[in-house]
Amino acid sequence: MLQIEPHNLLVQKTLTERIFPDSESLKSIDRIITDFDFTTYHISTFPDEKNLVLISIYLKCYDDLAKYGVVEYLNGKYSKFNEFLTILSGNDIEQGYNYSLVLDTNKIESIDDESKNEVINELALLKRHAIAAPFEQAFTRYDELVQTYANSNTYAEEIQQELQNEKVLVIKYRGLDECIYIKPSFDRVTVIFSTVFQDETDKIFGKVFLQEFVDARKRSVQTAPQVLYSHKEAPLDITNYVQGKKDDENKGYITFVLFPRHLVKGDRRDNCISHIQYFRNYFHYHIKCSKAYMHSRMRFRVKEFLKILNRAKPENVDDEGKAIENRKTASGRRFEVGRV
Amino acid sequence: MSQSLKPYLTAVRSSLTAAICLEDFSSQLVERHNRPEIEVDNTHNPELILNPMIIARNENEKILIEPSINSVRVSIKIKQADEIEQILVHKFTRFLTSRAENFFILRRIPIKGYDISFLITNFHTEQMLKDKLVDFIIEFMEDVDKEISEMKLFLNARARVIAESYLTPFD
Repeated sequence: MLQIEPHNLLVQKTLTERIFPDSESLKSIDRIITDFDFTTYHISTFPDEKNLVLISIYLKCYDDLAKYGVVEYLNGKYSKFNEFLTILSGNDIEQGYNYSLVLDTNKIESIDDESKNEVINELALLKRHAIAAPFEQAFTRYDELVQTYANSNTYAEEIQQELQNEKVLVIKYRGLDECIYIKPSFDRVTVIFSTVFQDETDKIFGKVFLQEFVDARKRSVQTAPQVLYSHKEAPLDITNYVQGKKDDENKGYITFVLFPRHLVKGDRRDNCISHIQYFRNYFHYHIKCSKAYMHSRMRFRVKEFLKILNRAKPENVDDEGKAIENRKTASGRRFEVGRV
Repeated sequence: MSQSLKPYLTAVRSSLTAAICLEDFSSQLVERHNRPEIEVDNTHNPELILNPMIIARNENEKILIEPSINSVRVSIKIKQADEIEQILVHKFTRFLTSRAENFFILRRIPIKGYDISFLITNFHTEQMLKDKLVDFIIEFMEDVDKEISEMKLFLNARARVIAESYLTPFD
């Protein structure tokens, strides 16, 4: 499992079970599902109407997302299913959650299986869509900038200055210390992640990994976004936006420069958004994986060392340290232990 | 085995064989006690302590042998070229020391300036074969370097695969 999938498997499974039920009678469900970055889903049925499934999501960074038009974006994504999917708004949203949808399983019966699966998949991508809103906004802004500066000399000082002052979108998706910063420009979109390493080992492993990210482009994947890494110090573009601890030893900034080829409208843009927003999860997941591997390797090595040390004991023991009793010579005689 | 490693290990082997020449010796400070004299603070008779010896391959790789009448303390400094190796060595030695009771001769805390220490007492040499103990230390020194550099290579290779497989789907 190299890649992290953007959809939530548990949400997908829960809804599949509900939409394609095994038995006739509807059971009530009440599930709280957690996802990356302090995200929580709550899937429940109404107490008296079991055909209605309430799906709610909580995101830590919802206030930021709200600024960047998440509600409109999500509504746009889900309104095409409005025959059986109701989007709740205002006070109807479940207490403690940010966005709620109600799925009517009676009404969904009428459509074919393929469309049902599409609905399930879209709902499993709820978190991805929510975080995608600011990315979409930044990319739209990029489209505008491309238009604006199409015929002007972009090397001119005043234009450079204007671009410099372009607004940066900030998503504090894991609190103040770990954020995503997005800055659109006329020929690229810069996405900067700030991340905190939990301990020294993570930090050093992280450095090795990031070095490879930086080098990968030079070596084999030339078409990939450019990756830059800076430790402790925030890149100039975002210095004014950085909150939280400024001089934390364990903090790092990873910059992705997305070029026009990554921002082609349609599938490629969607794919790019889904992929880049899971960068932190991917990165830290693989650091943990390497640590686990190192651990199992050391375990094995220590066992080998123990075997070598046990050889120093003259008792009758085999390689695993178990005593062998009644060892005989070829002629059938026994070794007598302890007799001088 | 590289050219400079062999003479280093040969020197360690013969020095250790000479140093592990221990006898039962009761404490002169506390009645009916038997302590590894090398671990006792300097309040006791200096004639029980023999001359310590350092064998160094280079400044980063050396071994300190401190013999006494009934115990030998062997401390090893493992090569650490960069911070990745430092972390790996640190993790590895911590892994070993936390399993010290299985290793009999391993000292839970290394001597300052070294990464790992062994304490061999006369009771160990009575129970175990001396040559095999020396073999163990030599093999340990060989394998630990190998293991650390393999782990480092693995980490780099893994990082490369991870980076490439993340960056490829962008296109």
